[in-house]
Order: sequence, then C-alpha cells, then structure tokens
Amino acid sequence: MPLLSLEGVSRVYSARRGFLGRGVPVRAVDHVSLAVAPGQTLGIVGESGCGKSTTGRLALGLELPDSGEVRFRGAPLPPPGTAAWRAQRAQMQLVYQDPLGAMDRRLTIAAQIVEPLAIHGIGSPAERGDRLAALLRDVGLRMDQAERHPHELSGGQRQRAVLARALASDPALLVCDEPVSALDVSIQAQIVNMLTDLQAARGIAMIFISHDLKVVRQVSHEVAVMYLGRVVEQGDPDAIFADPLHPYARALVSAIPVPGPRRLPRIVLTGDPPNPADRPTGCAFHPRCALATAVCRNEDPALVVRGDGRRVACHRADELARAAA
Amino acid sequence: MPSDRLVSIRDLRVSFDGHAALRGVDLDVAPGEAVGLVGESGCGKSVTWLAALGLLPAKARVSGSVTLGDEALLGAPAATLDRIRGGRIAMIFQDPASALNPVQRVGRQVAEALRLHRGMDGAAARAEARRLFDLVGIPDAGRRLDAFPHEMSGGQNQRVMIAMALAGQPELLIADEPTTALDATIQAQILDLLRRLQAETGMALVLISHDLGVVAEMCGRVGVMYGGRIIEEASAATLFEAPAHPYTQGLLAALPDMAGPRRRLAAIAGGVPEPWNFPQGCAFAPRCPNATGACDVAPPEHRRFGEDHRVACLHADAAHASVTVPA
Amino acid sequence: MMRFLGLRLGRALLTIVLVVTFAFVVLRLSGDPAMMIMSPEAPAEAIAAFRKAWGLDQPVWVQYLHYFGAILQGELGQSMRDGRPAILLVVERIPATLALTIPALILKVGLGIPAGIHAALHRNSLTDRLVMAGAVAGFTVPSFVLGLLLVLLFAVQLGWLPSGGQESWRSAILPVITLGLGGAGILARFTRSAMLEVLGQPYIRTASATGVPWRRVVRGHALPNAAIPTVTIVGFMIGSLIAGAVVVESVFSWPGVGRLLVVAVANRDLAVVQCILLLVASTMVTSNLIVDLLYGVLDPRLRAGGAAGAH
Repeated sequence: MPLLSLEGVSRVYSARRGFLGRGVPVRAVDHVSLAVAPGQTLGIVGESGCGKSTTGRLALGLELPDSGEVRFRGAPLPPPGTAAWRAQRAQMQLVYQDPLGAMDRRLTIAAQIVEPLAIHGIGSPAERGDRLAALLRDVGLRMDQAERHPHELSGGQRQRAVLARALASDPALLVCDEPVSALDVSIQAQIVNMLTDLQAARGIAMIFISHDLKVVRQVSHEVAVMYLGRVVEQGDPDAIFADPLHPYARALVSAIPVPGPRRLPRIVLTGDPPNPADRPTGCAFHPRCALATAVCRNEDPALVVRGDGRRVACHRADELARAAA
Repeated sequence: MPSDRLVSIRDLRVSFDGHAALRGVDLDVAPGEAVGLVGESGCGKSVTWLAALGLLPAKARVSGSVTLGDEALLGAPAATLDRIRGGRIAMIFQDPASALNPVQRVGRQVAEALRLHRGMDGAAARAEARRLFDLVGIPDAGRRLDAFPHEMSGGQNQRVMIAMALAGQPELLIADEPTTALDATIQAQILDLLRRLQAETGMALVLISHDLGVVAEMCGRVGVMYGGRIIEEASAATLFEAPAHPYTQGLLAALPDMAGPRRRLAAIAGGVPEPWNFPQGCAFAPRCPNATGACDVAPPEHRRFGEDHRVACLHADAAHASVTVPA
Repeated sequence: MMRFLGLRLGRALLTIVLVVTFAFVVLRLSGDPAMMIMSPEAPAEAIAAFRKAWGLDQPVWVQYLHYFGAILQGELGQSMRDGRPAILLVVERIPATLALTIPALILKVGLGIPAGIHAALHRNSLTDRLVMAGAVAGFTVPSFVLGLLLVLLFAVQLGWLPSGGQESWRSAILPVITLGLGGAGILARFTRSAMLEVLGQPYIRTASATGVPWRRVVRGHALPNAAIPTVTIVGFMIGSLIAGAVVVESVFSWPGVGRLLVVAVANRDLAVVQCILLLVASTMVTSNLIVDLLYGVLDPRLRAGGAAGAH
C-alpha cells in the first residue's frame, strides 16, 4: 500500500484579471493522481506554473483539494487546522527553498530543532537533549553552530538545520520543494547526498519537487513531469530521462545543459509557458508542440499506462514510441 | 598590443572595505570569441566585469589594467566609460524583471540606447527598436514596444535586455547569469538566441554562470574562478574532459549525471571562504584533498598545461590531468 | 474604474462622518458651552435659557440627529459667541491661513526634496550628514519652540522682523519659516530613503551599463521611481494646508483658521469647531484620494490587476 496517495486531486484558484476584473478560475492542479511508496522518493518536475508546488501542499494537507482525495496510510487526510491534522504533522514535514524564511530569526537553531519535540510531546525534556545531538550528527552540524541564529550561518548550514527540524518528529514523509535550488553546486551535492543517506537510514519517503532534472534524477525512484496542472509523463526516472515520450518532457530533458556530449538533440520550444488562467483547449501543450494535430487541439489526452509501466498523456505517444524503437 | 585581443585584463584586483573580492585576475577575450566564466557564489566572476566597466560602487578599490583595443578602461573619464558601455561593451544581467525600469515602457528604454550610441531619434529609433525586437524573437514586436516590463514574462524581458544591449552594436556582450532566473525551456531559447546573435553579428561573448553545463555548451574557452582568481582556464572540451585543478574536478564530480548509473555525488567538503577570511596561500587549500604545506604559503602561480590550458595549482601535473571525470 | 472611485468616495465620506461624529461627542462631553460663553456668575436661569436656545438640554443623540439633518441641508450652524453663521467665520479666515501654509509648502518641497536627493546621491559624505542632522532637528524640535526661538532672535534681539500679527508681508516670514522647516526636514529624510532604495535597484545598474550618463540615470530612471512614495508625503502635506498651522498661528497671533479653532475649542463654540473639523477632514480625505489616483499615473504596475505575463 502506498504511504501517500493523491487520487484525482484538483485545486482551483480564483485569480483577478486586470484592474478590477472579475475572477477567472485557475486550475493550478487538474486531476492529478500520484502515489509515494514507503521509503521511496517521488520526484515531481516542471516549470513555473505547472502546479508542482501546489501538488506538494495538497500532499501535505496544507490545502484541501477542490475535488479528489489525498490519503495517508489509506486514511483520508483530516482538514487543515483540526487537532487530528496537527497531530499528523509529526508524520509529514515540509522543506522548501528558502531556509532563512523557514526559520525564526530570533531563536537559535537548537531551539528551533527541538521545538517539534515539545509540540508533539516526544520524549521527556531530558531525552530531548540527546535527540538534538543525534539530529545534529545526522545532518552534519556541530553543537556550536546550533547555538547560533539562522542569519549567522551559511545557506547550506541553514538548510541542514531546516532538515534537522523536519526530522525531529521522525516523520514518515518529507516533502521537499526546491530544497537545493538556492545553493551552490558543491553544497547542493552535500545536501543531496545527505538526503539519500537519511532516506536509507530512516526509511523516510520523499516527494522531491524541483525544476532541476539532474538532481531529481539523482534522488528519485519515480518521476512525474507536470505541465499546466497535469501530469504528462510518469515512470522510472532513468527511462524517462533517457528517452522521454511526451513532447514536452522531451523538450525539457533536451533543454538541460550538460558538460560533455549531448544525448538528445536540443529541442527549442517556441513561445512562453502558458498562463494558467488562459488554458488552451484540448491538450494544454498543443500550441507549442511541433507534433500537434487536429485531435490534439480538440481532445484532452488521458494519462495512459503503457506496457513498461510508464504513463504518458499524449495522443501521439504510441507513434513516437514506435518510431524511436 | 596584439590585435588578436579585444579585451585584455591584467592583474585586476578589487577590494571592498579592506576585504579582497578579486585577487589578481588575468583574462583575454579575442574578437568574436565566446568565453565562459564559471564559479560559485562569491568567486568574483561578476565583480570582474563590473569592475572592468566601472559599475562597482564608489567604495570599491580597483587596481590593475583593463584595455579594450587601445583604450584603457580603469580610471577612464566618465564620458569615455559612458561611450564604451553599451557602445562597445554591453552587459546583460540576471533577473530581467528587476533589471528593467518598471515605470518606463520597454520600447523607450531601448530607444534610449539607440539615441546614445547611434544618434537615432523619434520614428527612426522606434523602427530600429522594432527591428531589434524582431531580431531577438519578441512576438508582436510593434505592440510590445509600448509594454511595461511587468506586463511581459521573464523570457521576454530578457529578450528586451538583449535588444537593449545590441542597440549600440557592441563588440563584446557580457551576459551575467542571463538565464539563472528562467525556466529550463526558456533558458534553452535564450541561449539559442545568444548563440545565433553571436554568429550573425560577430561580437564576442563572455558568459558568466554557476552552471557548468550552460557554459560548456555555449563557450569555446572557459575560466573557472575561485576565491577571487581564475584557477583554471582551458578550451571547453579540455576543461570538461580532463580538468587539472582539484576544484574543477570536484565541481564536475559534484554534478549529478543525466545518464549512466547513479553514483554518490562527490561533494567537496567545507564551503567557500568568506572574503574577510581568505587563506594566505591557495584559497582552495583548506578543502583540497591534495594540499600540502607549500600550498599555504602564497596563491599559486599559473602553470601552462599544453597550449591552451593553464592551472593555478602546485600539484596539478600530467597525472592529474589525465584523471577522467565520470561521463 | 468607476467601481474603484465609488469605493474610495464611499470610504472618504465614511471617514468624514466618523471624524465629525467623534468631535461632536467629545466636545459635548468635555465641557459646558453655556458656562464658557456666559460667565460663571451668570444667573442659573440665564444659563438654562442659553442651553435651551442652543438645544443643549436635549440628549446628545438627539442633538446629533439635528446636526446631521442640518448638515445635509447645507446648514452648518452658528457661532455661539456672535451668532454669525459658522461657515462664514471659517471661510473668511482661510486666506490668512493659506498665506502661511502655501509658502510653507513651497519651502518644504523646494528645500526638502532637493536636500534629500542630494543627500542620497552623496551618501555618507559631509553634506549628507549635515542635511540629515538638519532634517532631524527640523522635525523633532516642536514648532512652538522653533517659532519662539526665531521670534527671540529676529524680533526681540535683532528687531528685524515683527513678532506677531498680520501687519505686512514681513510678518509672514517667521511663521512661514517655522512651518516650513519642520516639513522640509521630514521630506528630506523621506526623499533620501526613497532615493537610496531606488538607487540600489538592478535597473539603475542596467541604465549605467547601457552607457546612460549618471545625471541622466538619476533624472530619467531614479527620480520617477522615487517620486512614487514621495507623493504620499506631499499629498499629506497638501491635505493639511488648512489646519496644519494651528500651533504656529497661535504662537504668532496670526488670524487664521488654526487660531480660530483654538479659540473656538476653548469656548466650546460647537458649531465653529465642527465646521472647521468638517473642512479639515474633507480636505485631507480629498488629497488622499488624489494621491491614490496619482499612484496609478506614476506607477504602471498598479494599473494592471493580475499580471498578463505569468512569469
């Protein structure tokens, strides 16, 4: 049984258009179904406006979906703000891009790491000191660093502190939203290694949301590519990044600059990413797709499971797969 | 002055409030060449060119020499610098949305560059601005001239910046992290555009980035910076296949691969030194697996490694140069 | 657009109503007009008759309703001292007040804004520190202290200028300076921070990198952006053109609206006080409304609601 599953969830916001315009519905997430297995990592990639961050928040139960259901260990998530929901926070935690914004400027790192223990009543006050030491060891921080305030540490150290705090309550699931994007390459590598180590040691499941495909490939057991609120391709990371089937996934993978020889010919998309408030008819990607046909303009492709377990939402996926084979 | 050099930087040093940000940078850019400058935050890659163009705040202490053809840039009078900026050397920056004046229409901002460097005004300027917008791939160019920056996307704003930069028909374009704030597919578009423009206009390009992949794709020659110096410089192919400096090797090993088996990332221990805490000797020595006592004496001189390859490391030798990084 | 204006007008009116109501209630609770206007030794029946004549014997809310009804008919009441219509009393004093506040505003803007800009452009220089010190002095020293000091120096010691009254244009000099310096200080400081914030923005560097000469960068790029927050303060100063001189008028015995207000409050001359407050509230609210509209002109980002380009 999956640890967490999103079943056909949608989230619609009402955005104001123009000065004093009326609200237009924006489908930030549109009928998304995903599952995270215990101890495994689900990577979600996509560009701005694709809905990956909103999906992360829905997975955590920070927002209620407008349709569909989110289940944790088989049971639906309690509504946000209730006591049951607060108690469940110990099981699932969020780490996101800006560690400085995630921490309180006035408290020391140590105080903030220990806080979840107090909130959830974990361990006696005496034991908490030991737990703090163990957490600091796990994330590679020294005690003297923990005595400082967030703005006195470097970006990488802060992100470690945020992780330590997230791990304090021994959660089963960690949702990471662009956790390393603001860090230098060498620090990124340190943090990514740490995440995989922690996952191996503690059996934590992760949802890893990022626009950086290289890092996602490194940590994920399964990957979902999102575009304009939908999952357009989903499956094994190595398979998808070696040979993406969906035209958007293909363009995305080919856009990654790599030192050394290029595996896929570079596909340069025309136009800008679409405005979620202005969703095209049919397949949302068709205005930018070189392979779009009439059916693409009129019909929304469903996410179809293929023989090898990969899911693709494209009318022409079969042809493309056959052509590549 | 050899005529094969467009820009020549010699021993450029910059310090802020007594702390060194650049500790002696030497770099040449040939006409029409694409040079990459890569490094992590604080290495000085942006400061190098801001200093060259005199764009640093007044409290910065700059020394050394920067020559453009036969003109000296450092300490040049304001009028000379104003002529050169945008006219011979143009610069575009990160985060295009905040790099454009929010209360002025974009067409007007481009027209300002046209007026300054090509003496164009009124209808002529507008027509040329429109042509530039078409050149950089802004759709519906005529109408977009009257748009404000916040009405356009990040990718389009960056195209506007490029159009502004091209307005003065510069000989060198410096792109400082031009795509860092943009989505991957838009990044591909902008890089593609820059490559095309470079081919069409014959201008030289300096691409500053923390992203090794971007630099590898776009540039023929790459310099790696650390602690305010260029610690390795080579052709792109050489650098990425056989890096000699331990820092470059570490950076490449820290990059996750897109293909092949997944390996544990080789992370470089420690962090970049703070400007007020630079080591006496080699800035990388505290983190270097090969460091010895000799490394702490003074920043190492550059050693030649083959024709186009130089390394600032006491222990880089042929053996290390042949270490291949997992592809 | 219409909806926006409608909303703002509605809010403006509500503000005015609240101000006037508040004043109404406080005035009536704070002292007995009858005792003030007629001397305390007057016979009880005279006082009672006075109160009845002015409707003061009725419950406060009844008085309020009458007052409100009267306002809606354009009837703003009469002075309890001399029976003349309150509005006339106030209006005949407005020119005198404006004769002070308008030159003072010119002084504030003409001195404060350039000083602030200069300080920002030469940050941490001697001029910057002097200007800032002067600015702080300008707005921390209470206006009556400043006024009295100026009187002491220029009127008493040096005898160059009159110490009060409204005899000639020379009488206006000290009050205008007193009024203007404080506001100039505030504006200088504010303009300086607005400019510093703008000068630190990336687009200033872009303009320099494009080869725009520095003076032009300041004039064409920095100032238009720094103007946006500065407009708020100037708008506020314009809003207080009528009543911003209360203390100064008292110190210099200048026969303006401010002085009238002080006297009327002391006498509990209710109609006059309320009339002045109504006028002040209206002016302030109108100038705020104009400032809001001006924002839309100065800052195109405020004209669009949601961004057309997503990212």
